[in-house]
Amino acid sequence: MVQASHGRMAAAFRRALLPALAIVSMAFSGTALAQSAAQRAADAAKKICAGKTITIVWEAGLQSLDPLNFSGPKWEQLTGCKVKVVEVPTAEMFTKIMQEYRAGTGAYDALNVIPAWMPDLVQAGALENLESYVDKYGYRAELKTIAPTYRDNQMTVNGKIYGFPDDGDVFLFYYRKDLFARPDLQKAFKAKFNYDLAPPKTWKQFDDIGSFLTEALKAEGIYGGSFFREPPYTMFMFQERFRVEGGKFFDAGTMKATVNSAVGVKVLTEMRNENRFMPPGVEKFGFVENLAVFLDGKSAMTISWPPYGRFAAGYLSEEKALAWVPKSKIAGKVGYALPPGGHPELAAGFALSVASTSKQKEAAYLFIQWLNSEEISLQRVQLPYALRDPFRDSHYTDKDYMAKWPDAKEYLAALGEGAKTGLLDLSLIQTDKYEEAIRQGISKLWAGEDPKKILDEVAKQWDEITQRVGLDKQKAVYNAWAAKGGAYPK
Amino acid sequence: MPVLRKGRRDRDRAFRLALVAPSIAVLLLVGVFPLVYLIVVSFQNLTMSDTDTSFQGLLNYRLLLADARLWQSLLHTLVFIAVALPIELVLGLAMAQLFIERIPGRAVFVALLVLPVLVSPIVAGATWSLMFDNRFGPINQILGWFAGHPVSLLWTIKPELVYPAILVAEVWQWTPFMFLLLLAALAAVDRSQLEAAAIDGASWWRTFRQIVLPAIWPVMAVAILIRALDLFRLFDVVWALTKGGPGTMTETVSMFAYVRGFQQFETSYVAAVSLLIIVLLSTIVLWTLKRVELAR
Amino acid sequence: MKRSVRRKLMVALRTAAALLLTILFLFPIYWLFMISFKTAEEIFAFPPKWWPSRIGFDTYAVLFKDGDAATVANSLVIAGASTLIAMFLGTLAAYSLARYRTGGEHLANWIISQRMVPPIAVVFPIFLLYVFFGWVDTHVGLILLYTAFNLPYVIWMMRGYILDIPRALEEAALVDGLTPWQVLWQVVLPMSRAGLFATAIFTFVFAWNEFIFALVLTRTEVTTYTVQVTHYFGGQSNFWAKISAMSVLGTLPIFIVVGFMQKYLVRGISMGAVKG
Repeated sequence: MVQASHGRMAAAFRRALLPALAIVSMAFSGTALAQSAAQRAADAAKKICAGKTITIVWEAGLQSLDPLNFSGPKWEQLTGCKVKVVEVPTAEMFTKIMQEYRAGTGAYDALNVIPAWMPDLVQAGALENLESYVDKYGYRAELKTIAPTYRDNQMTVNGKIYGFPDDGDVFLFYYRKDLFARPDLQKAFKAKFNYDLAPPKTWKQFDDIGSFLTEALKAEGIYGGSFFREPPYTMFMFQERFRVEGGKFFDAGTMKATVNSAVGVKVLTEMRNENRFMPPGVEKFGFVENLAVFLDGKSAMTISWPPYGRFAAGYLSEEKALAWVPKSKIAGKVGYALPPGGHPELAAGFALSVASTSKQKEAAYLFIQWLNSEEISLQRVQLPYALRDPFRDSHYTDKDYMAKWPDAKEYLAALGEGAKTGLLDLSLIQTDKYEEAIRQGISKLWAGEDPKKILDEVAKQWDEITQRVGLDKQKAVYNAWAAKGGAYPK
Repeated sequence: MPVLRKGRRDRDRAFRLALVAPSIAVLLLVGVFPLVYLIVVSFQNLTMSDTDTSFQGLLNYRLLLADARLWQSLLHTLVFIAVALPIELVLGLAMAQLFIERIPGRAVFVALLVLPVLVSPIVAGATWSLMFDNRFGPINQILGWFAGHPVSLLWTIKPELVYPAILVAEVWQWTPFMFLLLLAALAAVDRSQLEAAAIDGASWWRTFRQIVLPAIWPVMAVAILIRALDLFRLFDVVWALTKGGPGTMTETVSMFAYVRGFQQFETSYVAAVSLLIIVLLSTIVLWTLKRVELAR
Repeated sequence: MKRSVRRKLMVALRTAAALLLTILFLFPIYWLFMISFKTAEEIFAFPPKWWPSRIGFDTYAVLFKDGDAATVANSLVIAGASTLIAMFLGTLAAYSLARYRTGGEHLANWIISQRMVPPIAVVFPIFLLYVFFGWVDTHVGLILLYTAFNLPYVIWMMRGYILDIPRALEEAALVDGLTPWQVLWQVVLPMSRAGLFATAIFTFVFAWNEFIFALVLTRTEVTTYTVQVTHYFGGQSNFWAKISAMSVLGTLPIFIVVGFMQKYLVRGISMGAVKG
C-alpha cells in the first residue's frame, strides 16, 4: 500500500515538477518567453550601444514628436542609447534616404519608409534584411500579432522581412450619424430612393445620399459629402475604387496596363459627377481643407485617414501640437464605417527599417523592435499628438483606448475591420512613376478632360514605364505584389 | 619713362588679377566637379535601380531629343519668361520713376515694397494657393464683390486660369526686385542733365529715351539677364500652385528635372538634360550679349 | 496753374499712386502675416476672415520654446556671412572687369554661365563633393556654397553699377597720387553705394530663401529657416500658423535692415545732384 501511494505521490510530484522547473528556469534565465520583445530589445541594446547615438529618419512635423518627445527619451532612459531624429518633410523622405545611400555616407541608422517604396529601396540595396535579427531577438511571435493586412502586405519583399509595419493608415468612412438619424431626412430619403438612409454600401448609394443631403440641407449650408480631391490623395482613392469595382491594374500575362478599362472610366466619371454635390472648389481640397469643412459640420460624409476620427471627436484638442486642427463642432456626432465596397485603401502607411549602410545596424534594429513591440506600440498609438494609427490586433481591443471618447469603441472596431479587408497600395519598381501618371490624370479630370481619354493616356504612360523598367522584371514584381492577400479584393 | 610705364603696367596687371583671383577660386572649387560629374554621368545609365557606370554612348541624348514632355516644359518655361519679364521690367521701372522724386513717407514705402521679395518663394506660393482657394481665400471673395454675385473661379485647376494665377504670383513677388535695382540705377542719372532738358522743354519721353535710358542701361541689362536666368529656373511658385498641372500643362523645366532626377533618380538622363539646358542658355545669352555689346 | 500748386498736385498724385501700389503689393503679405494670429477655424473660415478675433502671440511663443526660431538665427549667420564674402570678393572682381576688362569677354561670360546651371542637376554631385570634404551639415559648407552661387550675380551687377560711374573722378584721383587700391576704396565704392546696397539686399535674399541645397546638404545640426518651414507642410497636417509666424520672423530681420539702410539708397539718389 505504501509503495502504491508512494508511486502516486511520485507521479504527482513528477507531474508538478516539470512546470515548476520551467517556471524556475524562466525566472532565472530572463531571456525566455515570459520576457516581452520590448524588454529583450532594451536589455540587448543596453549592452551594445550605451552612450552611442543612432539616427533615425522620421517624417517632419507632427509625426516626429513621437521620437522627439516620447520614444527617443524613453529609449535613452532605458538603455543609455541616444536617438537623433532626422526630420524630413514627407515629400523629400525617399530622396534623402536614397541620396545618403548612394553617397555611401552611412549617416542614417534606422528609417521610416512608406511600404510602397520598399521594392525600389530593396532593389537598390538600401534596406537591410531583418530576418536574422528577428530570429536572434525572438520577434517572430509579436510580428504575428500585427493586424493581418499590414502584417501580410507591408513587411516583406521577395518573402524576406525588410520593415516592420508601424502605422495603421487606412481610409475610413466618416459620416454624421446625427443627420442620418434625423427622422425627417430618413422619411424623405426612403420615399425618394426606396431604401433606408444608412452608410452607403455601394458608390451608387453614396451618390444618392450625397445629392439628397446637399439638396435637403441647403439652407444650413451643409453638403452631402466632401473629399480631399487634390491629386495625390485622389490617387489613393482611385486605386481603391477601381479595384473595389472589379478593375485590374495590369493583365497578369502580358503586363499590359488595363487601367483604362470600362471600370476605370466608370470610376473617374462617378468621381467627377460627385463633385456637383460637394462644396464648390472641392477639387482643390487637401487634407486640412477637407478636415476643416468636416469639423465645421458642413459636410455629411467623407473618407480619410484615422486621425480624422480622433480630431472629429475632439480628442485631446487642447494639446498644443494639435493647435492647427480646427475645433470640432461635431464631437459625438460622427459615425464610422468602411467606405462603399468595404475594402478601404491602406493608403501610404509607414514601416520601420534599418539602412543597409548603417554602421550600427544591431543598435538600430533593437530600437525599431522596441518601437514596434506590443508594449511600446500600444503607448505610441495613444500619444495625444501622434499620427501613428492602431495597427496591432491588441490596439483595436485595448480598454484604455476604447475609453478615450464615447464612440472610441466603434472607431476601433471600424479600424479593425479595415485592417482585415484593406487594399494594398500598388507597389512596383518605380512605383512613383506609375502614381505620377494617375496624379496627372486626376488633375486633368478636374480640368474637365474626358475620362476615357485620360485613362488611355495613363495606360500608355504605364506601358512606356514598364518597357523602360524591363517588362519581365516588372511582371515578376507585379505578380508577387498581386499574390498578396491585400492586392485585390477577394 | 618707358620703364616707369612698364612697371606701372605690371603693377596694374598684378592688381587686377589679384582682384578677380579669389572669386575665380571659389567658383572653380564649387563648380568644376559638378560639371565634370554631369558630363561623365550623362554618358552612363544611372537610374534608381541601376548603378552600372559603363559607357552608354549617346543613349540619354537620343532619349531627350524624343522626349516630348521635356520640350513642352521648355516651351512652358519660355512662355513664363516672355510674359513675366516684360511686366516686371515695365512695372518696376514705373515704380522706380514714381519714387525717385521725393514724396512724403518715401522711406516707408520703399521698405514696405521690398517685402514680397523677402518672403520665401515656397511660402509665397503656399500663400497664393490659399488666397486663390475658392472657399477659404479672399480673391474670389473680392471678385464677387465687384461682380455682384458669388464668383467660383478655380484658379489652380482650370486650364484657362492656371497661367494667369501663376503669373500674378510671380510678378507680385519679383517686381520689387526690378524696382529696387532700377531705383538705385536711376540714382546715378546726372541730375544737371535732367534739369537742362527740362529747361529746354523736352518731353518726358524724350528725356527718358535720350538721357535716362542710356544712363541706366548697364544696370537694367544685367537686371534683365539675371531675372531671365532666374525665371528659367522657375519652380517654387508653380509647384505650390499647380504642381505642374493640369496634367503637365504648367510644368517648367526645373520641375521636370526635379521629378525625374530628384524624386525618381534618373541621374544620367537628367544630367544629359541639364547639359542641354546649359548649352542652350549659354548660346542664347552669349548671342544676346554680343548683340547688345554689353560685354565691352 | 501756378507752378507750386502744380507741383503739390503732382506730389499728391504720386503719393496716392504709391499708396495704392503698396496696398496691392502688401495685401498678400498682410494675409500671410495675419494667419499667425488666427486660430485654425479662422484660417479655414468660410467666408474668409480678414482679421483675427484677437492678436495673440502663442504661436510665436511656441516657436521660440521649441527651438524653431533658432533656425532663423542659423539662416542669418549663413546668409549674412555669405553675403559679406560675396559682396567683398565680387565687388573687387567687378571693378577689375569694369575698369581693366580683365579676361575680356570670356571671363565675364564664364562667370555668368555659372548661373545657368540648373541647381537640381548639381545637387547630388555637390553633395558628393561635400561628403568628401566633410562639409555636410556644417555652417561653413552652406556659406561657401551660397558665396559661390551669388558671386556671378554680384560681379555682374556691380560691374554694371561701376560702369555707370564716370571715369573722370578715378583718373583725377590717380593723378592726385592715390594707388589703384585707394582709388577703389575711397572713390569708387562710396559712389556706388546705392548699387552696393541694392545688390547686397538681393544677394542676402537669394541665400536666405534657398531651399534645395539647404535640404540636401544638412541633416540635423544646421537647419535653415526655409527647410524648417517646409516641415510644417505635411501630408496629414498643415501648421499654417507656424508657417506664417516663421515667415514673419524670417522676413523681419531683412525688413529692418532694409528699413535702416534704405536711407543710403535715398542718399544715393540725391548724391546724383551733388555729382552734377
